Amino acid sequence: MLSLHTFLLFFLSLSGLLHAKSSSGDSVLVVLEPARQADFSIFFDGLKEQGYELTFRGPKDEKPIVAEHDVPAFSHIIILASESKNFAKDITPQSLVELMSGGTNLLMALSEKQTPLSSLASEFSLILPPPGTPLVSFFPERKDPLSMIPIDAPVDSLILSPKMNPVWFSGVPHALGSNPLLVPILHAPSDSFAADTDSNADALVDAAEKGGEGLWAGSQLSVATGFQALGGARATWLGGVDMLSDKFAKKSKAGNKQFARDVAAWTFQESRVLRIDSTTHHLVNGTTPLEQYTINDQIVYTAQISHYNAKTSKWEPYSGITDMQLEFTMLDPHVRTALLPVAGSPGTYSVTFRAPDRHGVFKFVINHKRKGWTHLFSSTTVPVVPPRHDGYPRFLSAAWPYYAGAISTSVGFFVFSAAWLAGESRESKKAKKTQ
Amino acid sequence: MPPKPAASEPTSAVHTLWKAYNENTSDRLKFIDAFLVFLMLSGIVQFAYCVLVTTFPYNAFLSGFASTVGQFVLTASLRSQVNPDNKNEFKDVSPERAFADFAVGSIVLHFFVFNWLG
Repeated sequence: MLSLHTFLLFFLSLSGLLHAKSSSGDSVLVVLEPARQADFSIFFDGLKEQGYELTFRGPKDEKPIVAEHDVPAFSHIIILASESKNFAKDITPQSLVELMSGGTNLLMALSEKQTPLSSLASEFSLILPPPGTPLVSFFPERKDPLSMIPIDAPVDSLILSPKMNPVWFSGVPHALGSNPLLVPILHAPSDSFAADTDSNADALVDAAEKGGEGLWAGSQLSVATGFQALGGARATWLGGVDMLSDKFAKKSKAGNKQFARDVAAWTFQESRVLRIDSTTHHLVNGTTPLEQYTINDQIVYTAQISHYNAKTSKWEPYSGITDMQLEFTMLDPHVRTALLPVAGSPGTYSVTFRAPDRHGVFKFVINHKRKGWTHLFSSTTVPVVPPRHDGYPRFLSAAWPYYAGAISTSVGFFVFSAAWLAGESRESKKAKKTQ
Repeated sequence: MPPKPAASEPTSAVHTLWKAYNENTSDRLKFIDAFLVFLMLSGIVQFAYCVLVTTFPYNAFLSGFASTVGQFVLTASLRSQVNPDNKNEFKDVSPERAFADFAVGSIVLHFFVFNWLG
């Protein structure tokens, strides 16, 4: 029994070495109707190959629960049961948001029906078209139904691999609100629009009469959108479950398999994950951090930043950020300067700046939020004090006339006294001679 | 003797004063006066610098200027005490005692001046 256990452990560790793993854990809960599990076997097998541990659960099953005593039980949750109107009582929009703030990543798919997930989507600033209006397009000409659309992957995507085959899509599009945390992954084709499949021609005619008003159309719509929460968790919304299905992945020249891999890698925090390992600060000609700095000091601030490499499951020093800034703030940033990588030492970012001529409680702040990347935030508080009474320069060149005046007076006094006394002795000698 | 023109009267008054000073003042008092003139000029230069250029650092101005003023006051009192004409005024102050007072006072003054200077 013991040997079996050690063998299992060995096997697990070996598989960990061989496969990419997420930076935030490997346990995945898949919420899906048991009957449809086989429809996504390529996607699930791919995840298992990567080293994820999948746990399946029907949307109405009570077990396994997503969080016990407010501690999330899984690192990632995939909700593909997009059409079910009723979930078990622990899967609600509120509980999902709470899980996200606890660090759980979510991968969710929408459907054209009105479900609890549709109302959650609007909390993420996704604006859904009216129910029952999937995305349709007449181009390119094909034998498939109008609602099955091949979408060319963007050329310069943050999340998807370059040179990907078209991704087949079937589902609802969504417009994006102004939330800056949204990361568009895949936009709808410019010649597509959302319409009821039975009367799409009518919808177009109606919209054309109104000058296009009310028509959900064009490449401003998105079919897959990511969301980088402030707490570090990631959520991805897909317009339809079929993007991940075996049926689409098996289509000739379909990029769906790669798309599913890339989206899962980003959502489960394998790719574009950064962290600040350490920050330190010291005087230009010092090495240890001071408890407080004096106004106008030359301060060196250094940050060490790592990037997660999913291939080795290790954090590696990362010098690729070129637009990071350091702020030295007291309510407002008094200094805002570029924090650039140091050539020759990977992962190190350093800047030297002069502390402002202003005393108070300051903070070194790194606040680096870029679309698609983990947000970096670091704040270190240091007081900046005025010089001590003996910290000022003692003798100033402007005061030389005064110094000369005082010194010449003293010298004059000594010369005067000496001459006075000499004269006195001469006089007394003279007096003696005359006597 | 014809009367001198009126314009030259002030000049002649200064000339007479200067002549009388030269003739009636002992060397010792003239020496004190030379020191007093030096102190006055030094004080004027410092004050002019303060007004025209900068009052910063103000403590240096105060101590430099106060040293010349203080030394001037002490030297002036020495002059009045050693002047033979004032013998009746200072009956119990001998010239030696007057110089000792002057020396002690000056040393104390310079002690404070150099403390306040830097």
